[in-house]
Amino acid sequence: MTRISRMLRGAALAAGTLALGAALLAGSGPATPARAAGKHKIFLSMSFIGNDWQAEAANMVKAMALHKSLADKVDLQVQVAGPNAQRQIQQINAMVQAGAEAIVVFPISPTALNQVVKNACDKGVLVFAYDAEITEPCAYNVHIDQTEAGRVTAEWLAKKLNGKGNIVVVTGVPGTSVDNLRTAAAKEVFAKYPDIHVVGEAVGMWSQAVARTELSKILATRTWDDIDGLWMQVGCYTANAMQLEAGKKPEQLLPCAGEGANGGRIQMLPVGTEVEGASSPYAPLGAPRISYASPPYSGALALKLAVQKLEGKDVPKKVILPLPIVTNDTVKLCDQGTWEEMKNGCNAFKPSIVPNPGWFASIFSEQTPEIGLNAALVGQPEL
Amino acid sequence: MSALSGNGARMTALARLGRSLNRSRGLVIAMLAFAALFLVVDLISQGPLSYFDVSFLSSGGATLAIAAVGETLVILSGGFDLSAAAVISLVNVVLASNMDMTDMNASVPLWTAAGIGVGALAGAFNGFFIAFLRLQPIVVTLSSMFILQGVTLLVMDKPGGFVSPSLGSAYLGDAIPGVLPMPLVLLGVLGLLWLWLKKSRFGTALYAVGSDPESAASTGLRVDWVRFAVYVLAGGLYGLAGVFISAQTGSGDPLVGNPMLLSIFAAVVVGGTRLGGGRGGPLGSMFGAYILMIVVNILLVLNVSAYYSTIAEGTILVLAVLGASVSRDSVLARQLRAAGRRLGAARRGQLPGQLGGGDRRLKLALPARRRATTAVGFGQRHAETLRFALPAYLCFLGVVLVTEIWLGHAVGNWTYWNSLLVLSCFLAILALGQGTVILTGGLDLSVPWTIGLCGILLAGLVKGSDVALLYALPAVLLVAVLVGLVNGLGIVVLGLSPIVMTLAMNGILQGLALIYSGGTPDGFSSPLLRWFMTAKLVGITPVVFFVAAFVVFAVLLLGRTAFGRRVYGIGNGQRVARLSGVNVDWTLVGVYVLSALCSCLVGVLLTGFSGQASLGMGDDYLLPSIAVVVVGGALITGGRGHYLGMLGGVLLLTALQTLLAGTTLPYATRAILFGLVVLGAVIALRERRAG
Repeated sequence: MTRISRMLRGAALAAGTLALGAALLAGSGPATPARAAGKHKIFLSMSFIGNDWQAEAANMVKAMALHKSLADKVDLQVQVAGPNAQRQIQQINAMVQAGAEAIVVFPISPTALNQVVKNACDKGVLVFAYDAEITEPCAYNVHIDQTEAGRVTAEWLAKKLNGKGNIVVVTGVPGTSVDNLRTAAAKEVFAKYPDIHVVGEAVGMWSQAVARTELSKILATRTWDDIDGLWMQVGCYTANAMQLEAGKKPEQLLPCAGEGANGGRIQMLPVGTEVEGASSPYAPLGAPRISYASPPYSGALALKLAVQKLEGKDVPKKVILPLPIVTNDTVKLCDQGTWEEMKNGCNAFKPSIVPNPGWFASIFSEQTPEIGLNAALVGQPEL
Repeated sequence: MSALSGNGARMTALARLGRSLNRSRGLVIAMLAFAALFLVVDLISQGPLSYFDVSFLSSGGATLAIAAVGETLVILSGGFDLSAAAVISLVNVVLASNMDMTDMNASVPLWTAAGIGVGALAGAFNGFFIAFLRLQPIVVTLSSMFILQGVTLLVMDKPGGFVSPSLGSAYLGDAIPGVLPMPLVLLGVLGLLWLWLKKSRFGTALYAVGSDPESAASTGLRVDWVRFAVYVLAGGLYGLAGVFISAQTGSGDPLVGNPMLLSIFAAVVVGGTRLGGGRGGPLGSMFGAYILMIVVNILLVLNVSAYYSTIAEGTILVLAVLGASVSRDSVLARQLRAAGRRLGAARRGQLPGQLGGGDRRLKLALPARRRATTAVGFGQRHAETLRFALPAYLCFLGVVLVTEIWLGHAVGNWTYWNSLLVLSCFLAILALGQGTVILTGGLDLSVPWTIGLCGILLAGLVKGSDVALLYALPAVLLVAVLVGLVNGLGIVVLGLSPIVMTLAMNGILQGLALIYSGGTPDGFSSPLLRWFMTAKLVGITPVVFFVAAFVVFAVLLLGRTAFGRRVYGIGNGQRVARLSGVNVDWTLVGVYVLSALCSCLVGVLLTGFSGQASLGMGDDYLLPSIAVVVVGGALITGGRGHYLGMLGGVLLLTALQTLLAGTTLPYATRAILFGLVVLGAVIALRERRAG
């Protein structure tokens, strides 16, 4: 008998601790805002937050919600699902139950969410997917054309090499649609040039750090002299840094088709350009590059479109964003990074303002005058 | 008279109830914790929970719950299965790529059987190597995880395919509309099956094998067949989980299951099953799975900021498990009592240290002189170590030879060796930390974000200045000591299982890294640190010298110091170690501090290597850090292993990755090859029949 009562006491204690924990948690997060009258309840369901792109995209969505044009219309709640599609399914369900009017989502899987998204649509909830796609027809999608991204960059590289040479390919996360479409399109281009040989292929996981270890592995059995060009989804900045470490001069850097990291953009500026805060390898090198990206503003744009739709405007089901392409001819340093300034064509940011070279610089869109550099950096909208 | 005996009968009935409740305490607490969380959700959400909420909740957690049931069986039998999540992905793509797009009414039993069949086949693969070749479960399933991931990508290289809606309506619909959703029925059936299985001979055998395989064998149980059957059964359950997720998503995605791996283990542990076998049960794991899933809802309702969500999850995990262990017999209670007694003794002046400093050692008559012993040769003295360490080196040499033949520029090329050593340095350092933890029978899952947080802190403090490195380096190492202390104290004082404590810690550290960096880590490594990792001194990168010194340090630490001997002692038997006068608690804390320091050092070196720190920079190091330790001949349950063996494992894995990166093989093939080589390496480690 005493044992039972002990058990019950233990259980009560357990329940108590949990409740206490919950209470503590409630204290640690911002308090649940009372639902203001007339505000649209919108949720953001993110994926894994532990990488630069995701964090930047989240900042831009938050900034968009804070902009004066939306601040009194939108009650935005941000949630992270982690890398697990199961949890995102559960999260979207919970958002529907919590009375969401619209859900902006970075889909972990383009297909796994179909059922739950359909469910949400059936209940009258708008679902906007950004960056990656949701194939369920009732969802709204905002992203770039990944096939075009692969094709354009591969063509640039082939032309740069005059259709001849050994190249190394560094892909993204295997098994994802985005990686698949980009890589397949690029390989299709390379196949058209019989004198272009892919001599090494590595899985880069869309990370500068992984690109560095994978390139090091490839270079264990080769030298830079065996390689004429690089096609990387992420990692050109790192590849250039590694070539400098290996003793190459800036004018000897190999052409590299790759991501839109700010470090890479700064490296594209002609040698000798005055750039505040630059220090090698995060410095102007005149590196031959084409720089493209899945722009991190897509989530913010999705939010804006969701609000427009909620207000009764017509919004297309599929918004294909223009592919942000920057080459050595078009790269231009920004001074402050306001939206106005970017509209006039600048697309690289000073290291003194953006100390992280892996930070994604493709943040400009004609359609989002609400957000500029400050939005991406600290989640503050333009005035 | 009759009244008295009736009373006695009631007493024994109550006592029996109490006993059985106590035996299934894990289950009961998991149920209560779930109920408490459910109530929290109910109380703080707007309006009462409707049938739809319950239905959504039940389908949301079902995949995890089913998979956790399978994993529980394996763990009850004393095993470990890392391939669970990979099987789920495989079954998902097999179904999605083979179902006919036009057939809206595909047969549910047929495709369910197909899914379970695929899973059971994968389980049979694991079971064969584990049961009949007596390989360590963790390595076999790690290899099969890579192989299965490769096969999955061969079946389907990107999301797509089609799963008939008939499956969806069968598994996600209502058993009784408005009252009982189908997933709950499915789990109920599984629960009943388990209760039947538990009562059967197989169930008894399962617990017996998990508790003590040798006793089980000597009572006449066919331990190998029981083990084999467990893996097949578990595989079938992962298969069923794969069928369920296919029904739920209506399509295929080759990556859908993979991130569930750690959640599956967390669900099992939260559900009250003890790692190492013999205690717990699948019913608790089901509740464990739902506890983990309902946390998503709680975070949503409370509107916990995204940066804090991993911290909150970690805290809830710890609290749930802690709640389950609150009792008179819990470690925490024992520690408190012991502390109380020590305090009392100190007040009475009875502590050993207070009793005067006389020599109270037993007088042992020493032999007048050492008897001349026949000199034991080096080979004989180290036969055991050599046997377990050599296979890794032999495989390593094999891989180097293949590299030379396939790619050229290897054996005679100093650049190759230099790159290999530089790339090995991260795992070589992690192997000491993780290896020492494994030697004590634990596991450190907080490696990834200890690396990440240290790297980000260092880059943020250093900001490219060599002078700043002088204080930044000690500062981040101090942070690591703190992380290790918290890990160790959680395990020793609170009695949490190492997996739970370090998994929770990993989440908390991730949150801290996010909060510190605001999502974009700034700063970069100093020139000196970059030089250390990337420059060449007469063709050798400076870090190679450091690694050489580190290896000597590690070998001496584990082989020649009292600390090292205590570590082995604890791994071979905690109670024996305690009775032999080893301060088990402080040694364990020290082990986790060591592991955190090693991870932190790797974070620092990685920052130097990459020039900057990034979020998630440590993610790729968790499984390899475990793999190298085990491939190097260490026993995952502790007590056996040599650092030089682990180093062999590091070299093997790094050389293999270098070889595969130099080829243009597709990723799927690489994953399969990687798995096969690791498996091949451990077949050489095979234990001869217990003797």
